[in-house]
Amino acid sequence: MHDARDAEDTRLLEAGEKGLLVRGYYGVIIDRCRLKVRDPERALDVAHEVVVRLMSELARGRRYRVPFRVVVHKVIEWKVKEHFQSLRYDEELDEWLRRASADSDEPLEGDDGFRALLDGLTELEQAVLRLRYDEDLDFGEIARRLGKEPNAVHQIHFRALRKLRGRAA
Amino acid sequence: MSEGSVEALFDEFAVAYRRGERPDVASFLARAPEGAERDGLAELIDRFLAAAPAREPSEEEVVLMQARLQQEPPLLVLRLRRALGRDAVVDALVSRLGLDPAKREKVKRYFSDLEVGVLDPRPVDRSVWDALSDLLRANVRDLAGLRVAPPAAEPAYRRFDEGFVLERRAEAPVPLDEGPDEVDRLFTGTA
Repeated sequence: MHDARDAEDTRLLEAGEKGLLVRGYYGVIIDRCRLKVRDPERALDVAHEVVVRLMSELARGRRYRVPFRVVVHKVIEWKVKEHFQSLRYDEELDEWLRRASADSDEPLEGDDGFRALLDGLTELEQAVLRLRYDEDLDFGEIARRLGKEPNAVHQIHFRALRKLRGRAA
Repeated sequence: MSEGSVEALFDEFAVAYRRGERPDVASFLARAPEGAERDGLAELIDRFLAAAPAREPSEEEVVLMQARLQQEPPLLVLRLRRALGRDAVVDALVSRLGLDPAKREKVKRYFSDLEVGVLDPRPVDRSVWDALSDLLRANVRDLAGLRVAPPAAEPAYRRFDEGFVLERRAEAPVPLDEGPDEVDRLFTGTA
């Protein structure tokens, strides 16, 4: 799911195209900040801080053992947290980034893309969400693929989203 | 799954996103009932965005962030990205809006104020936004209303008043500025 983007990020990083690398994430940075910080101007303030932090991180020349997108999302989470708690978490963020660097082998909690999102769901629920959002299938196609009735697939899908929502709350 | 439920809204958002569209998060949130439902939708979408491959940013988003990083007004950044001089934009505005070429300097003053964020964009006529959007190939209206950088205070717009126009006419001898006219109406909503 992420392979092509991760490969392009690696290429940009190796080519020293740091501005282009970060620019590719402007959309998701702004979207996530707007979801968390509902005031549009304040959301942009936070998004701006995320971009500045990423640029300064790249300027240090550090390499990571995780894909760059994982770093992006971690910085978003810390900057949103700073916004709501009116505190700086530079040390905590620095510590996570240090552990995420290529020359560290310390345990690292982090994002694992879609797998992390689906964690805790049954195999069938995971399959339905993957087919829906990864392969972009409609419910009829998903039902055929899984050998189920479309109604059953609708119910599994709804139940899976309810679980995700409950977990998020 | 009812049409306006959090699950249905999330599904609509996620499918559009994965198809390469740019569903607007604020619009989706606005469709969910305020309170726990809206917060639930925000959390679901946020978790999805953190997991899904990032979409390409829109031109407006690139301009917005570049403007913040460069501490420049978004409209100015957009115009420079398009490699257009201010005079070229003003000439195009006069032509597209069907204005009297003799009013060009007045249009230029208004456009300059709009571009650097000292003219309140709210009353600016839709035809001006349409002309600028065509010319600059972006949603100019959304960009113009945003401030340059995180300042401590709210933006202070210059308010239109006839006294200002008269005073300005007195101090700067622009001969054809004869008070409120079509150009004023287009840029300030007052004529």
